[in-house]
Amino acid sequence: MAKLRPWALSALLGFLLSACASAGSVQDIQPGERPDLESDEAGLWMKMDRVEEELVSSGRVVEDPDLNAYLQQIVCRLTPEYCQDIRVYLVRTPGFNASMAPNGVMTVWTGLLLRCQNEAQLAYVLGHELAHYIERHSLKHWRDLRDTTTGLAFFRFATAITGLGLVGDLATIGALGGVMAYSRDYEREADRIGLALMQRAGYSGAEAPKIWDYLQREKDAAGKGSGFIFFATHPPSDERRDTLTGLAQAQGGQGQVGREDFLRLTAGRKAAWLRDELQQRDYARLEVLAQHLQDSGFDPGEAHFVRGEVYRLRDEEGDAAKAVAAYRAALKTKRAPAETYRSLGLVLWSMERPGVAQQAFRRYLAQQPQADDRAMIEDYINQLN
Amino acid sequence: MTLSKSPKSRSSACGLGAPARWTALALLGLMLAACAQAPGTVRSDASVRPQPGARVLIMPPDVEVSELTVGGLLEPNAAWTAAAEANIDRALMNMLTGMSAEPVRFNPKGKLIRKPAVAQLIKLHSVVGSSILLYEYGVGPRLLNKKNGFDWTLGRDAAILGKAYKADYALFVYFRDSFSSDARIALNVVSAIVGAGIRGGQQLGFASLVDLRSGKIAWFNIMARGTGDLRETEAALDASRVLLSELPLSR
Repeated sequence: MAKLRPWALSALLGFLLSACASAGSVQDIQPGERPDLESDEAGLWMKMDRVEEELVSSGRVVEDPDLNAYLQQIVCRLTPEYCQDIRVYLVRTPGFNASMAPNGVMTVWTGLLLRCQNEAQLAYVLGHELAHYIERHSLKHWRDLRDTTTGLAFFRFATAITGLGLVGDLATIGALGGVMAYSRDYEREADRIGLALMQRAGYSGAEAPKIWDYLQREKDAAGKGSGFIFFATHPPSDERRDTLTGLAQAQGGQGQVGREDFLRLTAGRKAAWLRDELQQRDYARLEVLAQHLQDSGFDPGEAHFVRGEVYRLRDEEGDAAKAVAAYRAALKTKRAPAETYRSLGLVLWSMERPGVAQQAFRRYLAQQPQADDRAMIEDYINQLN
Repeated sequence: MTLSKSPKSRSSACGLGAPARWTALALLGLMLAACAQAPGTVRSDASVRPQPGARVLIMPPDVEVSELTVGGLLEPNAAWTAAAEANIDRALMNMLTGMSAEPVRFNPKGKLIRKPAVAQLIKLHSVVGSSILLYEYGVGPRLLNKKNGFDWTLGRDAAILGKAYKADYALFVYFRDSFSSDARIALNVVSAIVGAGIRGGQQLGFASLVDLRSGKIAWFNIMARGTGDLRETEAALDASRVLLSELPLSR
């Protein structure tokens, strides 16, 4: 036994254990299908039904009838046969994400809508999520995990009683890595099906790879370890972009882009969603995002304002001057938010320029006489006297 | 774009980690309670004295029954859970009637649950309940302002439930029950032969009685044991007795 190389043995066994996962036999879910109450799938549905109840009363679901109807209508256009089975919830959360639960609950984050430029890009993402539902990826993933841990328990037991505990530990890592690899395979499958669904519905497939292209730029800008959570379990964005570009071109890549409805329903809300992103304090990423939005026709006054906020909050060497420049650029557009003056005042104050700081605070109150923080700003003005 | 497809990680991804928190805290309760019916698991507020004949609103029991897989995962089972919910509901009605309280059922499908205030009250109870598990039964130090006896409340908004159901108290009950899969039992037997041991299924529960006039939590109890079966009518009644026999509602 001593001649066995633990790492080689564990890698092999990890592979075998993950390979014997039984997910392969699962059929696509049928429209209107409900799992048998005795099944493991019914258990997952029950769990997610409870999560849905919590979600509905969480206060984070965006109650905007027009926007919700719009999302549901895209789902129904992509998969008319599953239209009744899917419930879309728009959740007020920064960051790019959407999720699909086995019981038909789809969540879409506002940070995702913020980054989409048109209906075709959104339809691609929704198609990707629908593919998870149709292909029963949650169930397959659960079974992968269950079967892998089951194999491991027997294997670890065997290695423990023969004094090879380390082999068992290494195999655990190998096998759980295998489960993650499965997860990435499901993502690739969902990418492919999502594209097929959007193209079948008449959208331009050429829009799909543009999302990954953009997300890769954000990721490149972001600091190490600050990537979106989904990069851990998802294939790399550039790989997805290249695959999708190839697939979209093979299909001709023509179809509807859909800018008008998308912009009409989202343009007025993007400013608030962009400010949510400030909570993440991922400044390099935010600079890329602000530029992306501005390039896509977003109000430049808001974009400059958020850029100013980025510099003001980051507060590194030279950021104060950059923030002032960004706020002034925002004010030049004549459509800057009133808060621009307040932020400008704060930065100028920190630069020990009391006169202009006071002036900026006064302008803020003149534009926003009913401001919640009026008393505090008046106190600032007094302090600056 | 899905973060993960397992419901557990999904729930935390959406910021809905409450069920997971409950489970973690229930496990904590399990470790400290060590065995069922251990004396001294009851906590009660001396300033609240329930009267016999009180109307008690039974909140929908939070029950989940799972299979413990060989690998140690809890696989929720919808059929077992449905059976357990029905059994617990029947057991609670029987027990309260026997205690000379007047049980009233909360209607989980009714209009009231859709009222934000009611939904938030139920969520608030789950947060306060998990704090009680942590600070009254947990490993952490006692909170400085809770040193003089048991003093927890949902606030005066609890009266909303009281008025709607003309009830004096609300009873919240939480149960988790799990059973080893056949393969885990097999592994358990082999492990026992060679002198190793792996954990089998567990039954965990806790209950709280809320005074709907003041919002105060009048009474709280926990239980944890390695036996029992909520899927069976008699065994579910037994579990309810273990948890609730000291409810201060008898004549």
